[in-house]
Amino acid sequence: MLEINNLEVVYNKVILVLRGISLTIEDGQIVAFLGSNGAGKTTLLRAITGLLDIHNGDVTKGTGSYDGKPLFGPDPDAIVRRGISHVMERRRIFADLTVEENLRSGAFTRRDAGIKDDLEAQYERFPVLGERRNRTAGYLSGGEQQMLAVARAMMARPKMLLMDEPTLGLAPRLVEEVAQVIKDLNAEGIGVLLVEQNASVALQIADHGYILETGKVVHDGPAEQLREDEDVKEFYLGVGGDGRRNYREVKHYRRRKRWLS
Amino acid sequence: MQTFLQLLFSGLALGSIYALVALGFVVIYRSSQVFNFAHGEFVMLGAFLMISLVRGGVWWIVALLITMVVTGAVGMGVERSVLRPMIGRPVFVTVIVTIFVGALMRVAINLIWGGTERGMPTPWDNTGVMEILGARVLFNSVAAIVATAVVLIGFYLLFQRSRIGVGMRATASDQEVALGLGIPVGRVFGFSWFLAGSLAALAGVFLGMFPRIVDGNIWLIALVAFPAVLIGGLESPLGAVIGGFALGVVQLLAQGYVNPLLGTFGNNFHQVFPYVVMIGFLMFKPYGLFGTHEVERV
Repeated sequence: MLEINNLEVVYNKVILVLRGISLTIEDGQIVAFLGSNGAGKTTLLRAITGLLDIHNGDVTKGTGSYDGKPLFGPDPDAIVRRGISHVMERRRIFADLTVEENLRSGAFTRRDAGIKDDLEAQYERFPVLGERRNRTAGYLSGGEQQMLAVARAMMARPKMLLMDEPTLGLAPRLVEEVAQVIKDLNAEGIGVLLVEQNASVALQIADHGYILETGKVVHDGPAEQLREDEDVKEFYLGVGGDGRRNYREVKHYRRRKRWLS
Repeated sequence: MQTFLQLLFSGLALGSIYALVALGFVVIYRSSQVFNFAHGEFVMLGAFLMISLVRGGVWWIVALLITMVVTGAVGMGVERSVLRPMIGRPVFVTVIVTIFVGALMRVAINLIWGGTERGMPTPWDNTGVMEILGARVLFNSVAAIVATAVVLIGFYLLFQRSRIGVGMRATASDQEVALGLGIPVGRVFGFSWFLAGSLAALAGVFLGMFPRIVDGNIWLIALVAFPAVLIGGLESPLGAVIGGFALGVVQLLAQGYVNPLLGTFGNNFHQVFPYVVMIGFLMFKPYGLFGTHEVERV
């Protein structure tokens, strides 16, 4: 179980990005984080995986724990060893390494003999990676690169995956494919923290959803409830109460609604 | 023909030293984007350390290993204490810092060993010669080429196959992602400096055999090997090695064939020739032979 209480993050000592976020993620759940640009979704993931430091960010307040042990330590590799892997935004595969080397780099924290079997397991899950295992990863297509990024994270044998906009820049059919992959992983017992701008896909596969706005959780609830919520529908799913809405007629303040919850 | 072969072998021997030095540059630059202007001082440290050890009665091959490990460790120490805090600073800051570190090391070495010239001891006859295809080649040259070849093959295997090698290349490719995957980037930097330091020490030992003296100016080799790095491409270890060997051969062939054509002006033309080649590359192929293409799908 991942628990975060009142987390506050500041960049460059002055820019307050997260202002007191609290959340709970049970093991084996898919939890979606929705929010517009700059809401602090990526920062939240960085705080969990210990990558704030290189962005000159600090956790200034709040506590967190994963499986009863505290979070927000300085070592990213300790977090990976504890079973949390991070799939970063825009895939970020090692473009000049081969597919197989990418996967092996994902298993860097492990020294056991099971790495070979896990490689084969990934190739089985993503046959297209198996076909191209000795190809330079930068020449894979966008969808294949996303699969590679997921497979690479899986090589560390995580119990929880943090995924930052896995559907970004993918064709609709590939978006569905990615969603299916996330569901499959979850069915194997892996918890997923899914950060998305594509709210409809995220809420379809998630168990629970949080809505972030300017560094605060403004709304949360079970995914099916959020899917039916009028405000979520209007602002994240793009359907108003009375069907389609002409945005030219919407007043500016209506579009930037303040959440009161 | 015989002259040609003779020049070729000497060129390869000299080139193997350039290759070791250039490889050290590239290893550090690739992993941590630091241009290490103190590299020549590591070469110098290796040479002086080796002489003291052998004179102190340590068995030659053991002394070589100790020299490489100690010099590597010094490199690691420099990285940890001076350059680690500089991560994220502009490149020129690290450049200036390494120049300063180099100056300090030079002073320290002069303090410890003094600036007098000394010979590099060898377990074989220092002036011994063997015949290869009719060319007379120094034992020293053969040893340099063989040792470099062995080290380069070892380096290749380490870099391409081993866990730490994949970690190093991953770090070079995308530092943040490497961190996120649990690769200890700081330790990868340290390891790169260790490798570069020990490569430099090996280069220093063989360099000491060529002019057959070791003195306070031996660090200048780093500047001489510099064109090799640019010819091969700053980011390519393979390029550095090929650039190094090419440079050595070109330099000696120039000494043999170009210098005489230039009369008195040509006395030391071969010393300048590598820079002429380098300028040619900078003008027409600025990324070098192998340092170019960013992998990108279009």
